[in-house]
Parts: sequence; structure tokens; C-alpha cells
Amino acid sequence: MASRALWASRAASYLRISVFHRGFSTVLKDLKYSDSHEWVKVDGNSATIGITDHAQDHLGDVVYVELPEVGASVTQGDSFGAVESVKATSDVNSPVSGKVVEVNEELNNSPILVNSSPYEKGWIIKVEVKDTEELNNLMDPEGYTKFCDKEDGNH
Amino acid sequence: MGTINYLESIKLQKKLVSDRKTNKISDTLLSLQHPLTYTLGKRRTDHNMLIPMSQLKKIGAELHYTQRGGDITFHGPHQAILYPIISLREIGLGARNYVEKLELTMIELASLYGVKACAGQKGETGVWVGERKIGAIGVQISNGITSHGLAFNIDPDLNYFKHIVPCGIADKGVTSLRKETVTGNSKQGQLNKILDGRNEREGGILGTRWVIHSQKVRLRS
Repeated sequence: MASRALWASRAASYLRISVFHRGFSTVLKDLKYSDSHEWVKVDGNSATIGITDHAQDHLGDVVYVELPEVGASVTQGDSFGAVESVKATSDVNSPVSGKVVEVNEELNNSPILVNSSPYEKGWIIKVEVKDTEELNNLMDPEGYTKFCDKEDGNH
Repeated sequence: MGTINYLESIKLQKKLVSDRKTNKISDTLLSLQHPLTYTLGKRRTDHNMLIPMSQLKKIGAELHYTQRGGDITFHGPHQAILYPIISLREIGLGARNYVEKLELTMIELASLYGVKACAGQKGETGVWVGERKIGAIGVQISNGITSHGLAFNIDPDLNYFKHIVPCGIADKGVTSLRKETVTGNSKQGQLNKILDGRNEREGGILGTRWVIHSQKVRLRS
């Protein structure tokens, strides 16, 4: 865990991204977060989506990723696919609405990328965003960090 | 709940998950058995079903595709099934921790009857007695609400597992509580008491108290 955090810091400083460390899970600056633990990186009206470090840690090793078809519609807050880990399938929800323009086919061969590189190689889909105003419904890094702390403190 | 047809149980779980999501109901646990049923998980690993549909029909078993995690498995009379419909978000649990608790529940149950079971190695989720699987897990989590759950072999007819590669693991066997309990009068008598008639066992799962009801089953001689 510690070495992964160190690697994340190194990668982050190389890419000039600030990193918040909350315990052992990484939260990246410049991303927006949903309350079901997905992240979205927006560039114009193109969005890249994946699940967070917190999410992959709580899931366990991912053995299968169910990807949507290119061209499928996604809606903010609704499921677009699923991941399987430890004999549990967990829905993955879209943080934005729009049309799927690309899916990460690499996950068919290496689903573990979701665990080892949740913010980079483990990206899941790319979406052409319908309405960038929707991003206001999402959390910023500090908000997401607090949200995770609260959720983890609930038991 | 007694013996419930598989599709009926899916319909019921869908409704309960929806009600749980909107907080119409609180955390709920279903305890039941299924008639002869084979099920596949989301990955649809049908290559692990070793007999054709025609033979399935002959033996009176159903086959169902599901959205749960995990591989192919068998359900039948004298196998205890638990489907917890719980909000994981409310208790701050992730999939991994939840599944570990399901494993612990079965391990605890086995130990109550003198059977030493343990959780599987990495990639072999479930509960094992040595190289033999006694309990299986397959879960679906949707908006943080769980459905499906665990199946614990109290005394099902293990021959039905021969028609599949159970859980996709080819080189390991299956077992049951009946098979693992030492055959000696006292232990057998204990097992009889459990399986015959209604029996209540209290267990703690995820901090919520719940009760297992063993259904009235006849111990096969």
C-alpha cells in the first residue's frame, strides 16, 4: 500500500498533478467525483471516467469488467456497466450524461488495471458530455475526501 | 421461507432491493432453499456446465443465468441459502469486507458443529474444509444494496455437483456439513437434532442480529 502511494506521488509529480493523501487511498486534484466512487476528467465536452482508488481498494481484485457498447447513452447517476471482484458484481455508475465514444478494451485482457492504475490505465469509458452544467452535481477532491472519511467512519 | 423456486426468489429480491434503495424497508435477510437448480454468474461461464439441457430436464433441474458474481453452482434441497438485502453504504462496507463477513458466518456455523472450515485462498472466495468446498458465495451489489448471497451445504445430494465444474475450479471437490461431521453416535445425534425439525441459530452478521431457520429436513440414511 505504502509503495503504491509512493508510486502515485511520483507519477503525480511527473504529471504535475497535486495529490491528496487520505489514509492509504489517493484522491487526485483536477477530477470530479460521484458519491458512488467514480471519477471523471473533463476536457471540453469529452469526459474520461473510472472508479477511484478508494473504490478499487474496497472491491478487492477485479477479475472482470462489463463494458457498455460504443454509442450507448449514459445518464448521470445511472449504471453503465459493472465490475466483478471476490465473487461480487458491483454496478458502476456514470458521473455524467452523454454518449459513450470509447471503452477501454484493455480491461478485457487485464481487468486488474482497475486496481493497479485506477486513474490512468484503468480508465473505463470515454463519454461525449451532453451538459457540462451537470458537473456541478459532483464533488471536488476535498469534498470527496471528506465524503470517504464519513462513509468509512460509519461502522 | 421454505423451498422457493429460483425465479420467484429473483423477483422477490429485485423488489426488496428497490424498496431498500428508497428506504421503504430496512436491512432484510432471506433464508431459504431452492429446488434442483444450477445457476451461472454475470460472466456466463457455460463451459462449466457439463451436461446438455436435455439431460438437465430429465433430472428435473433448472438452469438460470444471473447478474451475480461468481461462476456456476448448484442449489438443491438441504442446502441452506441466505440472501441478505443490505445497504453497504450505510454501514461503510465495501464488497471485499462484506464477502469476508459472509465467509466468516459460514465458518462460524461450521465450527458450531465441530467442523473446521476456512476462507479460500486469493481468487477462491468461499468456505473450504481442506480441499473441499462447503460454502459458496455469489453477490450482486447495485447502488450499494446487496442481493444474492451465500449457499451452505448442510446435506444436499453432492452427486449433483458432478454435472458441473463447481465455481469453475476443476481440481477441488465439494463437501457438506453432514459429510464432514464425525460419524459417531453423539455427533450424528447432534446433527439429527439440527436437521430434523425447526432449529434456530443466532448469528451476528455485520453487527445486525439475525436468525437462521433450518428448515424441516429429513436426514438421509
